[in-house]
Amino acid sequence: MKKATMLALGASAAMLALSGCGAGSDGNASQGGGSDSGQASSKPAVKLTLEDRLLETSTDGSVIAHRQMIDEFKKENPNVEISEESLQDATYKTKIKTLAAGNDLPDVFELLGSDAKMFSDNKLILPLDDIMNQAPDWKKGFIPSTLNDFTVDGKLVGAPMQMLSTSLIFYNKDIFDKAGIAEFPKTWKEFTDAIQTLKAKGYIPISLGNKDKWVAESCILSELGDRFTGTDWFDSIKDRKGAKFTDRPFVDSLAALQELSKIGAFNADMNSIDNNQQRASYYNGKAAMFFEGDWAISSLSSEAPQEIKDQTHLAILPTADGGAGKANVVSGGAAWAFAINANLKGDKLQAAIDLVKKLTGEEEANVAAENNAVAATVPTDYDKSKVVPLFNEYLEMFKSLELSPIYDGQLSPAIIETMNNGLQDLLIQRVTPEQLAKDIQSTYEGT
Amino acid sequence: MGKKLPNPKWITIYGFLFPGIVIYLFIVMIPLALSIHFSFYKWSGGLSKDFIGLHNYSQLIRDAKFWFSFRNNMIVTVLSIIGQLGIAFVLAVILQAKWVKFREFHRTVLFLPVVLPAVVVGFIWNLIYSQDYGILNGVLKGLHLQSWIRPWLDDPKIVIYSVTVPIVWQWIGLYLIIFMASIQSIPAEVYEGAEIDGATGFKKVVYITLPMMYDTLRVAIMLCISGNMKIFDNIFVMTGGGPGNSSTVMAQYAYNTSFGKFQLGYGSAISIGMIILSLGLILLSRRLMGGRTVES
Repeated sequence: MKKATMLALGASAAMLALSGCGAGSDGNASQGGGSDSGQASSKPAVKLTLEDRLLETSTDGSVIAHRQMIDEFKKENPNVEISEESLQDATYKTKIKTLAAGNDLPDVFELLGSDAKMFSDNKLILPLDDIMNQAPDWKKGFIPSTLNDFTVDGKLVGAPMQMLSTSLIFYNKDIFDKAGIAEFPKTWKEFTDAIQTLKAKGYIPISLGNKDKWVAESCILSELGDRFTGTDWFDSIKDRKGAKFTDRPFVDSLAALQELSKIGAFNADMNSIDNNQQRASYYNGKAAMFFEGDWAISSLSSEAPQEIKDQTHLAILPTADGGAGKANVVSGGAAWAFAINANLKGDKLQAAIDLVKKLTGEEEANVAAENNAVAATVPTDYDKSKVVPLFNEYLEMFKSLELSPIYDGQLSPAIIETMNNGLQDLLIQRVTPEQLAKDIQSTYEGT
Repeated sequence: MGKKLPNPKWITIYGFLFPGIVIYLFIVMIPLALSIHFSFYKWSGGLSKDFIGLHNYSQLIRDAKFWFSFRNNMIVTVLSIIGQLGIAFVLAVILQAKWVKFREFHRTVLFLPVVLPAVVVGFIWNLIYSQDYGILNGVLKGLHLQSWIRPWLDDPKIVIYSVTVPIVWQWIGLYLIIFMASIQSIPAEVYEGAEIDGATGFKKVVYITLPMMYDTLRVAIMLCISGNMKIFDNIFVMTGGGPGNSSTVMAQYAYNTSFGKFQLGYGSAISIGMIILSLGLILLSRRLMGGRTVES
């Protein structure tokens, strides 16, 4: 066994060196696509590099499920050696782009929706259409909208790894009751009134941790924007069919966000704490609400004290007066997918496909569901008793919801960078909604 | 000293220099040349690059955000020269005094922050500045100075000063060591002569210590300028350049442009701009500090 591993190491190191130069041509015994591998000990050993955000310490149900799948894959495929590097979200986003610039991407990696077009234009990722068509069972499992999120110029560039809603409001019913707010506000006016009431009672109405700059955009503006502009506007932006960021409805949505900060909805240190820290003041009962995606359900269930957990319920943003968007829309989508390096060939490619299949198959969906997370594929069979009440509440609510695009899941990195930076300024009244809209528009025109 | 110095052949000299030169070549010269090369292209990574000549540079000169981040660099630099060098000088003089006990201990403690990684320093000061749990606000509350409490890292007007304080704090020790070494090399006779002439402590410092270590001061100022022109890590950890761009320095701006917006060509142009500005400042400081003749 030991000797075999050594040999395998040597062989795979040579292969790695080859593919590292962009010439991965280990021409021996290429398997015909689609077939399931598994207990094949006769095959030569394969070494795969994997780069992801699946930290061992995470309490996010989706991460827990993916980690379990990787462990199982290793057990089932002893001939495949996976060298994995897991990074924190912000670090990962930077690193993967840096690797892409050097044409040095790992064999399998997590792909952010907004990077998809750039990576695909540079021919760095393998289109998955043919592979998926040969494995209809796999393809059938996906929720169709998640596949759309990763279709770039007609090609499928990644296997979606989850189904997110990024803009849920987690609120403390007990605090709302104490402030005399009987039910969660249904209109914008009621919402701002409620915030002022909460503020007057000495609570932080909305705990916000926007140091990493994506929270205000991904978890608030993506949905708030849609309330004003409607999803058609976004489609027009994305396809460059005439819509502008300076259009009135979008500017209004920025103004609405700024209004929230003007009436003191957020904590004063919102730009110097991050999204994990924003939950802290909610956990200790100082804050009445926070905005985050459904990944926070499982984190909250394992981190928050019981009395906070019991009082926590979910809501989405109320309607905006005169906005073009629908009220039952939440910003959501796959946001992240597993992608395969375009340079892979032969056994390595087959192993990579098997790994991605394992990571996005129905088995993963079932484990994710038991850990209070929604995978990109439909769960078929899972133990409902393991699920926390808040997750059931989410699934119940989700049935009546439609999805709108997540801004940083779909727009190009340059636009998002300008928007994210600008939102920090907007929240502290350093820039007007009109000016910020102009900035975003000029970045949009420059790309 | 009676021994003759060895007189090696050229081949030996270059043989020993070779490894150093190779490393320097690979981690400094080649990346620099590549940056200059990339700065003439519109490039977002990958294979396709468009040659656009000097367009990136003409854009850079008109880029208000770049000049704003340069302004931030200047604030950090000026405060560092005053803070780091000033405090280090005062401490160095005090530590030389005869009545100081535990000299080594003080020196070690003051030097300790220098060896801490910037990330650690950033996190420590993040905790110090923290709104609810920070020791700074805690102390202010204890002193009944509630009105002084600010969102230290969130107020765009003060954030650049808030992030400068840890930088000043961290590097005092380095200059302290340099200054102490320099002061120790001043001959004791000079002080004795001055004492006979009736010079007191303060006058000795101004008329003897300061002029005698003028060259060291020049070097220290140069180090301080070059160090602060490329400052990045402390601020990156504490605020990430935010809120908005309020605490963005040039290196952070180059980083955001290259790895946030993924405009690698323009990002390279910013880096080259940084080098030019830093070199210019260092040359300027050398010109201003001039030769070694001061009020004699």
